[in-house]
Amino acid sequence: MLETARYEVEKRLLGSLALAGGLAAFAAMMALLAPGLLGEVDMAALAEQLPPTFVETFDLQQMGTMEGFLAIELYQFLWLIGLGAYVAYAAGGAIAGDVETGRIDTLLAAPISRERLLVENFLALLSPILLANAAVFAAVFTATRFVGEPIAIADLVAVHALSVPYFLCCGAFGTLASVTAPERVVAEGVAAAGIVGTFLLETIATSSDLGWLGAVAPMRYYDPTAVLTASEYDLGGAGILLVATAVLLAASAAWFREVDLS
Amino acid sequence: MPAIRTDGLTKYYGDVRGIEDLTLSVEEGEVFGFLGPNGAGKTTAIRTLLGFQSPTRGSAAVLGADVADAAALREARARVGYLPSEPGFDERVTGRRLLEYHGALRGDTRSDELLELFHPPLDRPVGDYSRGNRQMLAIVLAFMHDPDLLIMDEPTSGLDPLKQETFLEFVRTERERGTTFFFSSHILSEVRKVCDRVGIIRDGRLVEVSTVDSLLDRSGKQLRVTLGDSPDEGAFDLPGAHDVTVGGRTQLGDDGDADRADGLTAVSFTYTGGYEPLLRALLDHDLRDLAIEEAPLEDVFMRFYDTDAEETVERVEAEAEDA
Repeated sequence: MLETARYEVEKRLLGSLALAGGLAAFAAMMALLAPGLLGEVDMAALAEQLPPTFVETFDLQQMGTMEGFLAIELYQFLWLIGLGAYVAYAAGGAIAGDVETGRIDTLLAAPISRERLLVENFLALLSPILLANAAVFAAVFTATRFVGEPIAIADLVAVHALSVPYFLCCGAFGTLASVTAPERVVAEGVAAAGIVGTFLLETIATSSDLGWLGAVAPMRYYDPTAVLTASEYDLGGAGILLVATAVLLAASAAWFREVDLS
Repeated sequence: MPAIRTDGLTKYYGDVRGIEDLTLSVEEGEVFGFLGPNGAGKTTAIRTLLGFQSPTRGSAAVLGADVADAAALREARARVGYLPSEPGFDERVTGRRLLEYHGALRGDTRSDELLELFHPPLDRPVGDYSRGNRQMLAIVLAFMHDPDLLIMDEPTSGLDPLKQETFLEFVRTERERGTTFFFSSHILSEVRKVCDRVGIIRDGRLVEVSTVDSLLDRSGKQLRVTLGDSPDEGAFDLPGAHDVTVGGRTQLGDDGDADRADGLTAVSFTYTGGYEPLLRALLDHDLRDLAIEEAPLEDVFMRFYDTDAEETVERVEAEAEDA
């Protein structure tokens, strides 16, 4: 049971640890810098100087507090887009890479179904997702307490817990790219660009009257800024992300089951 | 029930023919050689049998499991070992970890025993392996669960001659135990060492299925004769004698002086007739030396490929000179 997932987790472990460490270090730095910056710069006054749509798009009016600062400097970009694109990219390279190197032949010669191989590869993505969550959570928790501006623990737990369905959805999108793209680099590119692209689409759509267009963007259903600054937990959004994950995986499996591997 | 059965199996990649109308069956316990030049469709056939790609037309069954039925084929694969010609592995993990992983996927009943015969450096990352070591690891992975049927694609490629011998000996021993082999190759010497029957494939089509013995019988004997006199033109025009050469050159229009050192003449030809007329004809001359050998399987093989390598080279070179 789950030999493949275990094997793939091991393979990803070093990369996952490095990624988690890097993100945690960045998070800690931001939290440690925040009090000094916020004390010196009047964010509200700064926000007034900028175009209102810009301020609204990037929630800059929230910058004045520790929660808002971390939401914008850490969670809204590096976390949401950076890690999201990384997870999609990693998923994109998985099956496509195995097909490209011919490794898939040695695996599928064993009595394992293609669907199982796909799902276990997907489950292995939990290693970067969970490690990054644990590390960044610990870093933010510790650093904000160290500088004496602790973030409400429930909000911090929620912002991390709700990110898991979001990253799983990114991974499922990458998996679909992995089985449908003709080669590995295409799969990886489409997967990562898909996350960045839908983010841009959502950003633009929200500030125009084509808001419905942003519905395809996974970021619409996970808003770290709302969680941290207003304690709004979008559980419905998390549900939508999990359903989308299941649909994307089912589509990937259906495709992968039929396709010629060469 | 045959171990492998194909019926009109056809695979096209778009307009490109991989295999066409392949019908054959491999009986349990036999070693079946699947012969053909590179690009003839051997790998296409094997990958279709293993379910890596779906046939365009026709059907096939492996250990009774229809290749179009993914679930049945998956179950059957528990009793199948696959040895690819260029095995793809993760480069960064060690051989030992791969062995453990594949053992978990398909079961491991005899890797210890196999590792005494084939010993890749298990503690090093596979990316550092030589071609031969990769192939040895692939052999251990293919046999570790003690399969009933082995599907092998050019299995000795990359092995050094000593290991090739070990491997062929191992195949013979496994055959004694009742294991079935389907074995693609373009190396005839190894095929004749281990195979019971061969199928010859050319341009995606099966052109011949026969026992190795019958192929050799039909190909006749290779004769090399040394004579102390100068035979007349046509002296060896016996029924069943082909490609007669005297003094290293064909008999027609040959003065052969250069090759008749010390007054000896070398004659060679392929012979498929009876011994009596042959010996009578030889004894008409001053017979100094006689060697009768089996014709090389290569010659038989080339007949099915329909292209004479020498002719092709000459034609291409002549065209190059003209240009």
